[in-house]
Amino acid sequence: MKSRIGVYICECGSNISDYVDVEKVKAAVEQEEGVVLAKITMFACADSTQQEIVQDIQEEKLDGMVVASCSPKLHLGTFRSVAERAGLNRYNYVQSNIREQASWAHSDKPAEATEKAIRNVKAAIARTRLSVAMTPSMIPSENTALVVGAGIAGMRVAIDLADTGSKVYLVEKDHFVGGRTAQWGELFPTGQTGTEVIEDLYREVGKRENINLYTGCEVVSKSGSMGNFEVQLRIDPRGIGSGDSTAVPADFEKRLTHAIDACPVVVADSFDFGLTERKALYLNPGGLPGLPAIDRAACTRCGECVKICPEIDLDQKEELLDIKAGSVIIASGFDPYEPKEGEFGYRQIDNVITMQQFRRLIEICGERLTFGGKEIKSIAWIFCVGSRQTGALEGDNKYCARYCCTSAIHSAVVAKKRFGDIQNYHFTRGVRTYGKYETIYEESSSLGDIYLQSFEDDPPVISSENGTTTVKINDILTEEKELEVEPDLVVLVTGMVPRAGSTIGSIMKAPAGLDGFFNEVHPKLKPVETVIDGIFLAGTSQGPKNITETAMSAHSSAIKTHTLISKGEIELEPTMAIVDRTICEWCGKCSEACPFDAIDEVKEDTKSVAVVNEAACKGCGMCLPVCPVNAVQLKGFMDSEIEAMIDAMSE
Amino acid sequence: MTGQTDKLEYDVVVVGGGIAGQESALNMADSGLKVLLVEKDLSIGGKMIHLSKVFPTLDCGACITTPKVSETARHPNITIATNSEIGDIERLPDGSLRGVLIKHPRYVIEKDCTGGGDCEEACPVIVEDQFQYGMVGRKAAYVPFSIANPRVATIDIENCILCGACERACPADAIDFTQKIEKREVIAKAVIVATGFRLFDPSIIENYGLGRFRNVVTSMQMERQLVPTRPYNNVLRPKDGKVPDNIAYVLCTGSRDITLGNPICSQVCCMYSMKQGQLLLGALPMADVTIYYINIRAFGKGFEEFYQGTRDMGVEFVKAKVGTIEEKEDGDLILRYEDAQEGEVKEAEHDLVVLSVGMLSNPEAPMMFKGGALELDEFGYVRQVDMLSNPASTNIEGVFVAGTASGPMDIPDSIASAGAASAEALSFIKRKA
Repeated sequence: MKSRIGVYICECGSNISDYVDVEKVKAAVEQEEGVVLAKITMFACADSTQQEIVQDIQEEKLDGMVVASCSPKLHLGTFRSVAERAGLNRYNYVQSNIREQASWAHSDKPAEATEKAIRNVKAAIARTRLSVAMTPSMIPSENTALVVGAGIAGMRVAIDLADTGSKVYLVEKDHFVGGRTAQWGELFPTGQTGTEVIEDLYREVGKRENINLYTGCEVVSKSGSMGNFEVQLRIDPRGIGSGDSTAVPADFEKRLTHAIDACPVVVADSFDFGLTERKALYLNPGGLPGLPAIDRAACTRCGECVKICPEIDLDQKEELLDIKAGSVIIASGFDPYEPKEGEFGYRQIDNVITMQQFRRLIEICGERLTFGGKEIKSIAWIFCVGSRQTGALEGDNKYCARYCCTSAIHSAVVAKKRFGDIQNYHFTRGVRTYGKYETIYEESSSLGDIYLQSFEDDPPVISSENGTTTVKINDILTEEKELEVEPDLVVLVTGMVPRAGSTIGSIMKAPAGLDGFFNEVHPKLKPVETVIDGIFLAGTSQGPKNITETAMSAHSSAIKTHTLISKGEIELEPTMAIVDRTICEWCGKCSEACPFDAIDEVKEDTKSVAVVNEAACKGCGMCLPVCPVNAVQLKGFMDSEIEAMIDAMSE
Repeated sequence: MTGQTDKLEYDVVVVGGGIAGQESALNMADSGLKVLLVEKDLSIGGKMIHLSKVFPTLDCGACITTPKVSETARHPNITIATNSEIGDIERLPDGSLRGVLIKHPRYVIEKDCTGGGDCEEACPVIVEDQFQYGMVGRKAAYVPFSIANPRVATIDIENCILCGACERACPADAIDFTQKIEKREVIAKAVIVATGFRLFDPSIIENYGLGRFRNVVTSMQMERQLVPTRPYNNVLRPKDGKVPDNIAYVLCTGSRDITLGNPICSQVCCMYSMKQGQLLLGALPMADVTIYYINIRAFGKGFEEFYQGTRDMGVEFVKAKVGTIEEKEDGDLILRYEDAQEGEVKEAEHDLVVLSVGMLSNPEAPMMFKGGALELDEFGYVRQVDMLSNPASTNIEGVFVAGTASGPMDIPDSIASAGAASAEALSFIKRKA
């Protein structure tokens, strides 16, 4: 029983004290049993206050400590380390949340907010009295990372981690690396092509022996926890060799080309977003590794290719590979938004395409820009398709996709410079070329591009009659006059959406936000971490980003991962389930309830009992309420502590 | 540090103790490297430590920044030099970097000062408080601000009259007028430039009247009025102390304006103005807030949703470029603007005008390098030589850039940029080892 407890009530600037009467809280709790000191602080987390608390703990010989402030999600770690610096066990510290739960939630009722804060603090004191010192256990951790996705983000993370001494499994679902960037030509602002950027990264990946790259590879399952994930990978056969494109016979490439020609199966080429077709045996333009692959979903196993190129093996089987990794980095990228049929004329009017299709179109076209056999001299760009769907725009994507304004304007400028004599009309909802990207907006204006803008609830309308497509807008930049353009091509500036059909989120149990992208713990405090310890995010899997921002995010993930796994051991929270073997009459209910497979049946002399695997237990408490004989408890949250909290609250 | 001349050796020198510098230093230190963090100002924390709540989560800035400041200050692998600069940085033939650390005197013995403020009480000299953006005064002997780190006093020698009152008042005998500039040679394997930005000074836009009309304030002055450590403990307009009830924001003040030599967008002003708008509606429930904008740039994660929320809360948005501001006798202000929607010049009256100032590059970044060897871009920011793969790399091998030293950025982007700088620096050091 702790009897020398210090209580600190934080004003959080005015975040708490504006609504909660902190003096009243202090007066109400300073006489509580075991409390020897109660203080009000402006910012409990400030360094000077931390020093004061350390001093108090040492001088007043405190054996328990409560800080009534914000959510423990924000600062539990901060104050635990304050306790430790003063020589107090960190589990004798209890945080009481009077900001999110009292001041912020009840800002309209200050008196009640104060009452609630008092009860919360009293409960925390009651729990502190019964708190027990615990020691975290150390577990060995694999200095190995699994990077899911080999686009620019994934390759970047892999290179960084390899350089800092970790082993890396870099897995790519596709048969070729590079993700979306491999599909783009000239990039803004450097003028490099997407292919060049990917080639550079791929070369760097190849130079590093501690990176194992698997293409055509998906994550099947995951078990274990931070430091010791056990992951099963499934490798889809390429159908040719082992995927290693070095050391091949001289005529091999020529025979492969003939084999592709001989393949009778033709499908839409997703690399060109359906603008072109490809064979079932295929090699993406500039595709790396530079070895064709067989599209097994399309292949009819007719054997024409094998006749020409016997190295092709239609009977290759998929392989399963079990690996261990200390952490996982999700770099699974994005999909371009696919407009619905009829959305701004998409799939109903012939000359309406998406921005991503346009990016491929300018790469496919030779000297002249043509679409559907017609030369393109004027283009209407419809911004925010699939993004900022508010007002009159139907859809669930409320967010701004960040990169599309700059990308669309850059694409328009590239087309104009490459093909000459093209008039661009930009139908925007307010151009968002933030920061230095403003320069491309200026450049396009000076090249004669015309900008029109509509308000949120009044999007442009696209119609087609007798082969002429018309775009109409009530332009707010010209006194809301209705203006009409008859362009040769309409490009829908489609934004980013989360990868469709990706299973990595559910396998890793990484939660997504309202926008469908994976969520970080906190945009400023833990920007690349997920709530699952050891699972990190890189690139556009987290939300729309351009290439520079993706590189920054990937580097950030790499250094955070390095810090976690490179030390060889990881600290485990001692907050774990414990089973009272004298009471337990193995029924298996706790094992069924456990989301982490941490509870097993063990036979003792006379009966079977449940035993908790400490490395796997996350202390979630799911097993507690299902036990019919109340044999399971959670260290740090023992029944006695919880009951004391309830009693204190309901006094 | 005493007047010795023996050289200091670190793995990394981080220049600038704002959010990007701290994040970089912590990343490097957590990876086991020895870091020297050089801060020109009296406290680490940069601009962020002076902010109120931060977008888009509306966490209080201090709640996020002070623990990071504290973590940086007590990390065993980080040495902090405040009130210090580094200069003459150059690459040596062996690939390492050498510079000269210049520590300016505080005239206070840091280790003895308790930050108790007796000197402050005793000092008879009052000058403008730069940390409150000139809205209130401070003494010539002063503790910079309440959440400063280190929380020790300093003597503003420019304004000090050498009366000795502080020396007599200090119970710890920590005042020392004999302190001199100290210079030490520093050797490091890598340098991270995190020197931040400077705020645009709108007093050069004569039509807006900052300085002439006291009820025209900058957004940083408004920011200070909204923080817990605010000067007036309420939002007041400077001229007469009246609580404003009709507040205007003029966006793109000094940004996206070729005539002012800054054609680029500052990336943060739309968002912080909307945030201030939301906070003002909370602090002054009866007040109207109008934002005059060219384009709303709510592009980051959760930003568009924040914009929609701001509109729903009742902040009014007018698409217009404000041309001139005139003052009436009662201190109210008349804004003349071109309403883009209606295509005509209009006037509107407000009782407080906030100029949403943007970012400019910090000219101190290149000056730290011998012969100006660090290359800049056309806007004066540190040039990123491999923007698409290694965005923190500069033209000097081993020198990396973090945060707004490379261009306008918000806090999440600055933190990501610091991640890039530290990862690139760490890889660089490990590859060479």
